[in-house]
Amino acid sequence: MAMVEVLNLEKDYGKVKALKGISFSINEGEIFGLIGPNGAGKSTTLKILATLLKPTRGRAEIAGHDVVKEADRVREIISYLPEEAGAYKNLTGYEYLELMARLYAKNEGKAKKMLELGVKLSDLGEKLDDKVSTYSKGMMRKLLIARALMVKPKLAILDEPASGLDIVNAYEIRQIIRRFSRIEGVTFLISSHNMLEVEFLCHRVALINRGQIIEVGTPEELKENYGTKNLEDVFIRVIGGERCE
Amino acid sequence: MNDFWVLAKKELMSLVRDRRLLFGLIVLPLLLFPTLGHVIGVGIKAARGTTQVVIANFDNGTYSRLLIKSLELAPNISVTVINASTIEEAVKKAILMNKNVLVVVPSDFSKRLSAGMDATVYVYGIFKSLGAGIKESVGEARLREILSVLNKVIAKIKLEQIGVKNPSVLLNPISMVSYSVINGKIVQISPTLVSAAISSQAVSIPLVVFMMVTVTAQMAAGAIASEKENKTLETLLTLPVKRTTIVSAKIFGTATMGLFSTFAYLVGMRYYLGSVVAGSSVSLAELGLKFHLGAILLLSFIVFLTIVFSLALAMIIALFAEDVQTANSLTGVVIVPLSFPTWVLIYTSLDSLPRPLQLLLLAMPFTHPIVDYRRLLMENYLPVFFSVLYLLFLVAVTLSITAKLFSGEIVLTSKFRWFQKK
Repeated sequence: MAMVEVLNLEKDYGKVKALKGISFSINEGEIFGLIGPNGAGKSTTLKILATLLKPTRGRAEIAGHDVVKEADRVREIISYLPEEAGAYKNLTGYEYLELMARLYAKNEGKAKKMLELGVKLSDLGEKLDDKVSTYSKGMMRKLLIARALMVKPKLAILDEPASGLDIVNAYEIRQIIRRFSRIEGVTFLISSHNMLEVEFLCHRVALINRGQIIEVGTPEELKENYGTKNLEDVFIRVIGGERCE
Repeated sequence: MNDFWVLAKKELMSLVRDRRLLFGLIVLPLLLFPTLGHVIGVGIKAARGTTQVVIANFDNGTYSRLLIKSLELAPNISVTVINASTIEEAVKKAILMNKNVLVVVPSDFSKRLSAGMDATVYVYGIFKSLGAGIKESVGEARLREILSVLNKVIAKIKLEQIGVKNPSVLLNPISMVSYSVINGKIVQISPTLVSAAISSQAVSIPLVVFMMVTVTAQMAAGAIASEKENKTLETLLTLPVKRTTIVSAKIFGTATMGLFSTFAYLVGMRYYLGSVVAGSSVSLAELGLKFHLGAILLLSFIVFLTIVFSLALAMIIALFAEDVQTANSLTGVVIVPLSFPTWVLIYTSLDSLPRPLQLLLLAMPFTHPIVDYRRLLMENYLPVFFSVLYLLFLVAVTLSITAKLFSGEIVLTSKFRWFQKK
C-alpha cells in the first residue's frame, strides 16, 4: 500500500517555477530518498507534504489524506524535521521533548511513553537537563531527530537529517534512522544532496533537478542502469555532466 | 492538559526565563520609578527645608529693621545679616557662606517709604550648580510671601497714621473661600488642590497605558519573530495543533506577562508620584472619587482588550519580519504613532476637544483605557459599554486576520528584513 502519492505536483513562487509537475509514490515502511542539488525543489516538495506550503497545481496524499483539504488530519500522522531547525532556547532538552510529547499524545500515559522513547533516542543523558541554548550543533540535531521519531509517525519527513554534522554525529543519526525504520516500521521521506548518505539509508531514491524528477529506482537499479559504482556518478550522468573518474 | 494550556505554559516559561525581558518588564519599573521618585522627593524636601538668606542692609532705617525682623520671625527662613560696602562684596560673602538667597536693601529704602513713595528690595538667587534650581525658586517664593505680609503691615501703619479706622477691611475688602463640585456633590476642597490630585492621575494613567501597549507589542512581535529566527516556526506549524490554538496561546502568554508588567508599572508609578507630590495633594478618595468592584472589573477588561488588540496587531506585523530586530522595529513604527495621540489626554479632557478630534482619538483603541478610567470615576457608565463593544470589534477583526495569516503561507514565505546582516 502506498503511504505517499504525489501526482503532477507544481509549485510557483511568483514567476519562478520551483516544481514542474513531479509524480512519485512511497510504499509503507519504505525509506525513500529525494536527491538533487541545491534549488532542485527537494525542500519545496517536503514542505508541501508537511502541509506548510500549498501546491499551485497537482495533488499529494499521505495515507489517503489530501495534504491541502485534510491538512489537520495529515499533521496527526506525520513528523517533519526541517533542514534548518532549532528548539526553544529557554527550555531544557527534556522540557522540549516533554512539550512535543504532550502536543502529539492526547493522554498522559501515551505522552510518558513518547517522552521515554525521546530520551532514549536522543542519547543526550544528563545534558537533557541543560538549556537548549547550551547545545552544540550535533546535540541539537540529535534532540530534533529524537523529537521527530519519538511520536512514531506514519511518515517521517526529514530534510537533510545529517546536515552540517561531523562524520561521527552524521553516522550516529543515520544509524538511528535505520534502526527505527527496521524496528518500528515507520515510512521515511528523506531529502539530501549527500549521495553516499542516501545510498546507505534508502530503499528507493528519486533524482530531482530543476523542479523535475528524472529517475526513480533502488540505488542498485540506478547504478546498474547507468553502469556506475555509486549514486553520485549516476546523478552526474542523469543531469548531463561528465563522469569523474 | 489540552493543547492550548501546553503551548501557553511554554510561552510563559520562555518569557519568564528571558532575563533581559523580565528585568525590563517587571524589575525595572518596580525599582527605577520608586528610586527616581525617592531621589526627587529628597531634593524637593531639602528645598522645602530652611532657606538660608543673607541680608546686606545698606539702609539701616526703621523700615529696613522692620523687614529684617519680619524675616527673622518667619518660619523656614534662617537670616544672616552681613556687612558689605558694595553688592559685589555681598555676593562674594554669600557664596563663601554657602547661602541660597541674598537680599539687598538699598540705602534709600526707609527714606522712600517714610516719604510715601514705593521702595524696592533686590533678591539674588545663588546657583551653585546647574541643577533643578528648586532651592533658589522656593527661597524667592518664600520671600515674596513675607514681603506681601510686610507690605500689608506697612500699608496698615500708614492708613492708621491718616486716620482710617479699620485699615484691614480697606486692604482686603473681599475674601474668598473656595469649594469644588465633583459629580454633582460639593466637596470642601479648593479647585487648586482638586486639580493637583487629578493632574497626577492625568499624567500617570496615559504614561502607564503607553508603556503597557508598546512593551507588550514588542513582546508579542518578539514571540513570533523569534520562532522564525530560532528556526522553530516550521516545526510548530506542522504539529497536530490548530493554528488558532497556537495564536491564542501566544497571545495568552504575552498578555499575561503584559498584565504583570502593567501592574509593575502602576505600582512603580504610584511610588514615584507618591514621593514627588507627597504632602501637596489630596487623594481621589478624599474627593469622593473611588472605584467600585464592578468598575474595577470593567476597567480591567478594557485594559485586557487593549493589550490583546496591541498583541494581535504586533503579531500581524511580525509575521512579515524575518528576525526579531526587524519585527521590533516594524512594531515600533506602527504602534508608537498609534499610541502617541493618547498623550493629548495628559493636557486636556476628551470633552473639551472639538468633535472631529474627539472622534479621531476615540478611533484609536489605546485612548480608551484612559478615557474610560475617567468616565468610571465620574460614574458615567453608558459610553464605557460602547467603548467595550468597539474594542471587542477591533479585537475580533485583528485576531481573525492574525489567525488567517498564520494559516497561510505568508508566515513562511515573507522574509522582510530591516537590517542587513553584516
